[in-house]
Amino acid sequence: MNAPALVLRGVHKTFGGLTAIDALDLDVDDGEIVSIIGPNGAGKTSLFNLITGLYQPDRGSITLHGQNLVGLAPHQIASAGIARTFQTIRLFLNMSVRDNVMAAAHGRTTAHLWQSVLRTPVAQREERQVRAEAEELLGFFGERLIGYRFEQPAYSLSYANRRRLEIARAMATGARVLLIDEPAAGMNPAETHEMTDLIGRLRDERGYTILVIEHDMHVVEGISDRVVALDHGAQIAQGTFDDVATDPRVIEAYLGLRTAETK
Amino acid sequence: MTPIGTDEWVAEAEQRRQGDSGPLAPLRRGLMRVPPVGRLALLVAGAGLLPVLSDSTFVVRVGLNALLFALLALGLNVVVGYAGLLDLGFIAFYGMGAYTYALLSSDQLGLHWPTELAILTAVLATVVLGYLLGLPSRRLLGDYLAIVTLFFGQAFVQLVTNVDRLPLPGGRTLDLTGGPNGITGVDQFRLGMLHLRTVQDYYWLLIVVFALAAVVFFNADNSRTGRAWRAVREDPLAAGALTIPVNRLKLLAFAVGAGTAGLAGTVFAAVQLGVFPANFTVTLLIMVYAAVVLGGTGSIPGVVLGAAVISVVPEILRDPDLSRFLFYGVMVSTLMVLLRPWRVLAAVLVATVAFGFAIRGLVDWVWPGELIEAGGGGGKVADALGSWVVMTPGNVLVINLAFVALIAAVLTLTTLRPAVRHIGLPAVLYLSAFVWENRLVTDPSITRQLLLGVILVVMMNVRPHGLLGEPRVEIT
Repeated sequence: MNAPALVLRGVHKTFGGLTAIDALDLDVDDGEIVSIIGPNGAGKTSLFNLITGLYQPDRGSITLHGQNLVGLAPHQIASAGIARTFQTIRLFLNMSVRDNVMAAAHGRTTAHLWQSVLRTPVAQREERQVRAEAEELLGFFGERLIGYRFEQPAYSLSYANRRRLEIARAMATGARVLLIDEPAAGMNPAETHEMTDLIGRLRDERGYTILVIEHDMHVVEGISDRVVALDHGAQIAQGTFDDVATDPRVIEAYLGLRTAETK
Repeated sequence: MTPIGTDEWVAEAEQRRQGDSGPLAPLRRGLMRVPPVGRLALLVAGAGLLPVLSDSTFVVRVGLNALLFALLALGLNVVVGYAGLLDLGFIAFYGMGAYTYALLSSDQLGLHWPTELAILTAVLATVVLGYLLGLPSRRLLGDYLAIVTLFFGQAFVQLVTNVDRLPLPGGRTLDLTGGPNGITGVDQFRLGMLHLRTVQDYYWLLIVVFALAAVVFFNADNSRTGRAWRAVREDPLAAGALTIPVNRLKLLAFAVGAGTAGLAGTVFAAVQLGVFPANFTVTLLIMVYAAVVLGGTGSIPGVVLGAAVISVVPEILRDPDLSRFLFYGVMVSTLMVLLRPWRVLAAVLVATVAFGFAIRGLVDWVWPGELIEAGGGGGKVADALGSWVVMTPGNVLVINLAFVALIAAVLTLTTLRPAVRHIGLPAVLYLSAFVWENRLVTDPSITRQLLLGVILVVMMNVRPHGLLGEPRVEIT
């Protein structure tokens, strides 16, 4: 069995009187794809925000390969190896496709402003390297984001390509754990299918550990090694897709008590 | 055609991008095809010719002012254009540079430091001040940052106006800044063996400084830091989640912008031989912002062009003939942009001319001999206009009423349907020519501000991204 990469223990977060995340434990192993499901408001995105440092947990610990993440700034957590995408896509819209990806390499590059201004060999070499890496990364998405697309501003991309670019940008941080928030939201069936393949390839070809929030059960079934169901900020079920999908508490959470009883 | 699979607003934005038209489009495209180094060389060569072609100190002083403006605009562009921070205290850094240099190089404190050391100290002091202002401001977003920095800018002016009687231990007082009277008798630059005395000398110096600054900012823009700044501008939250230390980059932008303004300030103090609180008011801030916005926020050639326009146009407008040329030029080119197809434009222009002659004939018939023929400024154009526009420069009441009527008519016009608007347009155009020829052309102090304002309003409607800026989309 693989070693655990991301470990959450007793993570708790309230907003005023509302408990967003309730004493949550979660383990994600290296190279594993874990899906988080749950009805709206269950705390899925709050969980991502806690892991990536946008929120500070009230209690509990979050570690990546044993390194504590609680209290670190978002950019430090990203540099420690966790990158994410956003439910509402948050690209750098007025930057080119290539610059979007290159900007995300900030944390693993070192050229200071004065080095860039003087165009020192070190800065130039790093710039060339980051650019080549960005173009290679964009090639991972087939023909869609390469060639003439490199120079296009991100706002000119279609919705599906924006989702792809957001994933490319997260990859460019050098993180080994990707948090992907609703990758198939708003996509047509063909694009959804392709996104399912893509997430599988991220793990199989590039070795990423992936935590994904998704509402589309076909996608969840297609990609997940393990599924975790949340409701009211607490874990109500976990296991294989079939186990979780037939769990009465999960059905209750999604459909209400009566439907669950008649099943 | 709307490309399949793009959102509506994307298609709109792309249409706007493709619609790079208007009278200046070929010039703009041609300019952008020249590589950046070539553009800079062209600009420096052009600027360098100025003192050679003209031995008028006034012309060189206007050029020097334009270069100072360009330097300020480059600095502000880092803060506003790249990092997207609405810094309304920017001019305080200009003042800080000027005052620090003045204090270190005048009889005010009896200090006469070597120029190089004084400049270095002034720039460092400004950078530190920029950093300190950045510290409490880095968590503030948008409007809040604007308010805090605006306060800071005002506080600076109040401070230098009032620290002329600092109490010292022992009951004595120290006159630090000279209060409202400022610091006079500031030393000129002595750089090594060079003693810079004339406006021309400082002009040459500023060309060199400006060229260096342009290269520095161009390289910074196309670097790891430049990308990170733009990422912070576009979406600070996403930037943070993607390894970019947002706060540190904001502070860096503040400090770099402040340092640039500080450097410009030292030159200003030396060339003016003094510094006064009135030099660093909100008016200047607005002018520098106008330069950046007019030229194109985030574009180096853009803000430089904007600075040139903003500093040179008011000087050109002092001459009635030139200002008249600009007035009708702006009027006609605005009509060219707004009235399409060209048949409508031709009809409106012909109707305006005919309307003018009709009114002129009518007035001649009703009050024969009451009209003064020549226009305010004289010259051939004025004579030609004189036989078209009714001239009654002495009749102040009529002219003032016409001015008010013009404003009302223009406002009414904007609320009408296009077809009706086209019918009303000739009369309004004639009315504005009447007001212009009778009153404004002879009064440059009003006209300059008014025309500049009109140019800005028209520009922002026609090209909201500025002369050379990249069109941007804004969504939240």
